[in-house]
Amino acid sequence: METAEIKTRLTPIFRDVFSDNALEVKDTMTADDVVKWDSLSHINMIYAVERAFGVKFSIRDARSMKNVGELIQLIKKKAG
Amino acid sequence: MKYSVETLEYSDLIKESLTVPKYDKLLPVKPMKLAILADCAVQQLATLLKTLAARNGVALDVYEGGYDSIDLEILNPESALYSFGPQYLIVLMCGEKLKSRLYDAADRRSFAADTVGRIENLWRAFGTRSSATIVQSTFVLPSERAFGNYELKVADSVGAIFTEINYQLAQRARSAKNVLLNDVDFLAASIGRRQWLDGRLWSMAKIPCRLEHMPRLAQSLLDTVLAAAGVFTRCVVLDLDNTLWGGVIGDDGLEGIALGEFDEGEAFVAFQKFLKELKRRGILLAVVSKNEHANAILPFKEHPCMVLKEEDISAFVANWDNKADNIRLVQKTLNIGFDSFVFLDDNPFERNIVREHVPNVIIPELAEDPSSYVETLADLNLFETAAFSEADLQRAAQYREEAQREIIKTQFTNVNDYLASLGMQIKLERFNAFNLPRIAQLIQRSNQFNLMTRRYGEAACEAMMKDKACAPLTLKLSDKFGDYGLISVVILKPAGEALEIDEYLMSCRVLQRGVERFAMNNIFAYAQRLGAKRVVGHYLPTAKNDMVKNFFKSFGFEKVGEVDGGGSKWALAVEDYRPREVFMSEAVNELHTPEPVDAL
Repeated sequence: METAEIKTRLTPIFRDVFSDNALEVKDTMTADDVVKWDSLSHINMIYAVERAFGVKFSIRDARSMKNVGELIQLIKKKAG
Repeated sequence: MKYSVETLEYSDLIKESLTVPKYDKLLPVKPMKLAILADCAVQQLATLLKTLAARNGVALDVYEGGYDSIDLEILNPESALYSFGPQYLIVLMCGEKLKSRLYDAADRRSFAADTVGRIENLWRAFGTRSSATIVQSTFVLPSERAFGNYELKVADSVGAIFTEINYQLAQRARSAKNVLLNDVDFLAASIGRRQWLDGRLWSMAKIPCRLEHMPRLAQSLLDTVLAAAGVFTRCVVLDLDNTLWGGVIGDDGLEGIALGEFDEGEAFVAFQKFLKELKRRGILLAVVSKNEHANAILPFKEHPCMVLKEEDISAFVANWDNKADNIRLVQKTLNIGFDSFVFLDDNPFERNIVREHVPNVIIPELAEDPSSYVETLADLNLFETAAFSEADLQRAAQYREEAQREIIKTQFTNVNDYLASLGMQIKLERFNAFNLPRIAQLIQRSNQFNLMTRRYGEAACEAMMKDKACAPLTLKLSDKFGDYGLISVVILKPAGEALEIDEYLMSCRVLQRGVERFAMNNIFAYAQRLGAKRVVGHYLPTAKNDMVKNFFKSFGFEKVGEVDGGGSKWALAVEDYRPREVFMSEAVNELHTPEPVDAL
């Protein structure tokens, strides 16, 4: 799956989970950049991404992701 | 639809939670105050509880106790739990926590007793400070076993100790009046214990189960809370053809329907057995079927494999009217709210019609295969309750008698056919010593169908009973559905050339059955035998007896005078009375004896 496609599919998920209809997914984006990105919605986001892409993140994956770009790379690796 | 497993999707519910108004915005609706204490994280659970409650029209004010501070909150009278003042307290204890404590325990022998003792002590302590109901979870058994299948053979294995704790909790909860159980282990097992926990989420955030199952957990906890608040299923309305048996009774006949010991027949029998168990536990069963009544009832009477019998059904409606109307009829007869009804019908058309017209009824989607019916119902957890007593065992019979009368009425367009079908039996007797207390009671209580409202006491009644010149009479009515007992009092006294109706009253339970026509026929027959020229009577108005102001007129009496207070005097010549048609047989008629007055 191409990075661009992943980004396109992530956008509605992020908008839903963080309740922000104007949100644009960027590689450098972190929790600090999104008002409603807290520990609770983080878990909801991981859950939604896992279901949407049919992937499963390990605890280490979840802890090591530094920004959305790394999340996209992880999805790319796991989803093949 | 109120419930459906498909509507319990985690992400959708989280999204929906944003639309749930904060409880204070719903004022003046008083929110239900619910506290959650848990040894795991409950933010998601609390959000789901509020959202699902809103779907049920309930505003929930939730207090989330601090993480893993169940004991602290309950044992400290100054805690925020008590200042919140909950109506319900969910105590959610996780198997993972218990397991880890058990692995750490130096001595396992007293572990089960200590754990149960600790919980029971919490219930007691909470009970002394709050009148709220506790909803206590059971512990989800771990899916790993160090001993394999030998696990339960070893008294201090994890599996054996967990099983013991859950069993002991159930035992103690039976005698604890302020405690309901929520069997989270049952929910986890029915989903699959191996599918229950998300090890990553537990490790990272102490989330008690996989997020995809958390709506089921929230719904299950909410079901218990709502049941405690009085919201629960009271009646299951059943279709017949292809719901209780396979095939169409009207076409296939008694031998042709699928019901018995194999294939579909077996599945229908299993379904009926579950319904019978529901009836045993106090849920009313009703039938609404598009059928000729005689066909619909036939399997209940004659099919050897029918589990449900006529007496299990509190209201039986079989006709060709639309089912929405018939369910309204059942509701009216049983007099319970639509939101406590579940309607089961294999036909999507009928389900949709009812859904459209009677929106509060719970209508599960039944798959085509009857072997899935029980499972579908179990999945929806439609039959919560917060109490069970002997009275529940009797409920079906109590509702049945009255419901059958009401429903039969709707099957006749001609009221006379209906009355004839009731098989009414009437007894006309003089007052006697056995009846005096009941007579006096009826005289005191009857307000509406009471012409003179004279309120004779028991002593006055006894005097009339002994007075040979007077004819103080009672009427008792029964029909094929049951016995009404003594329902009417008529007191006749000769007055010169006339026979006077001195008192006439009837219980309103037997209106419109023609009892008064039977009585009037007999009054005039008696007047004729006495040689009286006419029958006279009074209507004395009260605040409540407007119903009978035209009583005499309806039998052809003429108004012959006024009485103080707006009353009127009526008379009708004996030779002018035309006997009315009645639809009851006389079990006893003491006025028929040749010399009725002297004979007594």
